Amino acid sequence: MVEFTVPEVDYTRYTNRQLAAIPLAVLVVALIVIGGWYVMTGSPVNQGIAFTGGTEVQVAIDGPQSAAEEQIRSAFSAEPETIRSVPAQSVYVVTFQSEAGSDGISAAALERQAQDAGLDVRSVSSVSASFGANTQVLALGGLGVAFLGMSILVFAMFRVFVPSVAVVLSAFSDIAIPIALMNVLGIELSLGTVAALLMLIGYSVDSDILLNNHILRRSGDFYESTYRAMRTGVTMTLTSISAMIVMTITATLFGIQLLAAIGTVLVFGLAADLMNTYLLNLSLLRWYKFRGVSR
Amino acid sequence: MVDLRDNWRIILLIVFILISGFALFSPTLAADDDGGGGNVAATSSVTNLQYGLELSGGTRVRAPLVGVTAEGVEFGGDDPRVVGQNVSDELDGAGPADVTARVDATSGQTTAQPQSEPSSTVEVTAEGITTDELAAALSAAGYEYETVREGVTESTREEVVRILQNKINEAGLSGGTVQQVTTAQGENYVLVEVPNQDASQVRELVSERGTVVIEAHYPTGENYTRDVVLQQDDFQSIGTAQEGQSTGAYVPVTVSESVAPEFQQDMVDTGLAQQGGTRCTYQQNPNGTDPCLLLVVNGEVTNAFGMSPGLADSLRGGSWADDPVFQLQTTNISEAQQVSINLRAGALPAQLDFSQASGGTVSYISPSQGADFRINSLITGIVAVLAVSGVVFVRYSDVRVAAPMVVTALSEVVILLGFAAGIGYPLDLSVIAGFIAVIGTGVDDLIIIADEVMAEGEINSRRVFQSRFRKAFWVIGAAAATTVLAMSPLAILSLGDLQGFAIFTILGVLIGVLITRPAYGDILRALTTVDR
Repeated sequence: MVEFTVPEVDYTRYTNRQLAAIPLAVLVVALIVIGGWYVMTGSPVNQGIAFTGGTEVQVAIDGPQSAAEEQIRSAFSAEPETIRSVPAQSVYVVTFQSEAGSDGISAAALERQAQDAGLDVRSVSSVSASFGANTQVLALGGLGVAFLGMSILVFAMFRVFVPSVAVVLSAFSDIAIPIALMNVLGIELSLGTVAALLMLIGYSVDSDILLNNHILRRSGDFYESTYRAMRTGVTMTLTSISAMIVMTITATLFGIQLLAAIGTVLVFGLAADLMNTYLLNLSLLRWYKFRGVSR
Repeated sequence: MVDLRDNWRIILLIVFILISGFALFSPTLAADDDGGGGNVAATSSVTNLQYGLELSGGTRVRAPLVGVTAEGVEFGGDDPRVVGQNVSDELDGAGPADVTARVDATSGQTTAQPQSEPSSTVEVTAEGITTDELAAALSAAGYEYETVREGVTESTREEVVRILQNKINEAGLSGGTVQQVTTAQGENYVLVEVPNQDASQVRELVSERGTVVIEAHYPTGENYTRDVVLQQDDFQSIGTAQEGQSTGAYVPVTVSESVAPEFQQDMVDTGLAQQGGTRCTYQQNPNGTDPCLLLVVNGEVTNAFGMSPGLADSLRGGSWADDPVFQLQTTNISEAQQVSINLRAGALPAQLDFSQASGGTVSYISPSQGADFRINSLITGIVAVLAVSGVVFVRYSDVRVAAPMVVTALSEVVILLGFAAGIGYPLDLSVIAGFIAVIGTGVDDLIIIADEVMAEGEINSRRVFQSRFRKAFWVIGAAAATTVLAMSPLAILSLGDLQGFAIFTILGVLIGVLITRPAYGDILRALTTVDR
């Protein structure tokens, strides 16, 4: 019978400082990446056309990829910003960034050019620069308000400083790490990835609250409570990760960008959550439990 | 043996699933009962679900309206019409038709704060007029004002929405909708969604002002004069575009009775209705033709035609006004259709802004892409659920724990789908992302319940079960509250493609916490409690 059990980690072998060092180091690296990105590009993340304005055209072309790309380049009068192919379907996603200041080429013109060149247009979407800027404010504002709301709620629920900070800090790290990874891997911020970052707040808090609850509100030995919380929490996170990996692969094959983006970001975030919950949050809780109280 | 009071949560869950099933499938069932009712024949799919553009194909256009508005204008006793005329005189590039002065009529119906005085507005809906130009024009015309801003008034937006809806209906684009949306920053957009049409067609239809006037072009001494003789609202009825064998394409129209005598007189005065009719050669030789009637659409002359001898006779004889019909001739049938649509729907008071810099968004999904997405996202969802089930079965190696878990998680989706079908909320990819979020948090919660309830061996009394269940519920409730709070800002804002995602995630979490997840606890107890 296949069976996986959550291994019991012997936390007594490590000091709090050792435990917290790894996630904090990763968080610092992530923040450096995000900060560096901001300095270099003027924006903390690579923003997709939903935020910067631009046009995306999806066309279906049969034949080898290089020939198809050649055909795409010759069809449009504007130089495409990117051309991506969707595996398993002969569909190509062509994006045109709207340039600041210039009026750019309109979506209608691009659609006509594609049709004139005999390409099978699957979808066209265009976003103006000002609308993109609006969406950006909405997305960032939504994320900010969500995070703030979560923090207040966590403080209200636990009413003790250190454990609450532990939850908020690991949630912050759970969001920062995937954003840094998105930058490194060239994944653009889209509506899908914003949705995923919002979902991460929920997922992240799930396992943290579980751990805090087991340790703070239950009787019993610290390590025993930790193990019980871990057994449940790790199962939860692994279940979600496996579902998201499978979803990402399927959605990528089918070319459903929104779902693929959500899946990818969630896989990063959930993996970060495993680390943050059971190293960062746990070490803070242990410090609070053994040193904070006796003080 | 089954105690209703003990299992009320399970019963509640079943009731909800049944209601959802009813909402999802009822018309097909009803059709069977009626022995094949004709009214549901149009429902091609098995379920009642409605799909948004991303999953069905079609075009969505979201654009602001072109215009600038001055608020709190002191008319100084002038009639609004006069004010509009005076302001337009001071503006380059805006005719009287582009300037609207209003004594605030919306103050009664808006929910504005009581202290806001009913203010008068002057709005200019011509392209390329800046707020500064409007301010200068108002000052030059001698009117005081409080503020000038980009954008148009609420009543103009409402009228645009109404007229666009008319245009879409007149053009036979079934299922098209037009509505107003407001961004978080308070900017207003007009949202047009039309299924199964490509972007250029829809844009063509909605981007034009759609003004149609008939002008007389006639010689006065050396030169030719152009006068407007018929306007959009001078028609009593507008026929559908037709194409005759000899006459070419035309739109039959009836001029309203009050205007007909005046028009008749105009025709005689301008020499259009002269003996033997007129032959129009405006296209070849505009300064040497007989008098012509010009069809002017969106400010451009699209066709020019003369008058047949018969019609000229009846106009001169005065009998035409008793039966004031004539044919607006166009160069081809599609133009005739366009004119007919514009005349019926009316002219837009302001234009939609499609410019790259300040405009909105246009998106088009081909119907085949939509259908692909529909099937593929379903497959993706199923695969994700299978992955979850796989992990859960491996982890617990007990079908009694794992199977109800998967069933419960799926029932949440069924209830959500039923809800979507019930209220007719169109499914989009963002809603499907919401379903995935719900399954994800749902399974997490079920794992918490299962672990908590089965902790430390057998449960041998109901009391132990209750206390464990309550403990598990604290965690679930706390996590759910956080998720709901995190999603609520996005759910409230009417703009934004994430609204569907946020709404369905919140709904799913609420349904999960209040109905399905407690029911799972009961199922688990029924299956695992020793003492019964």
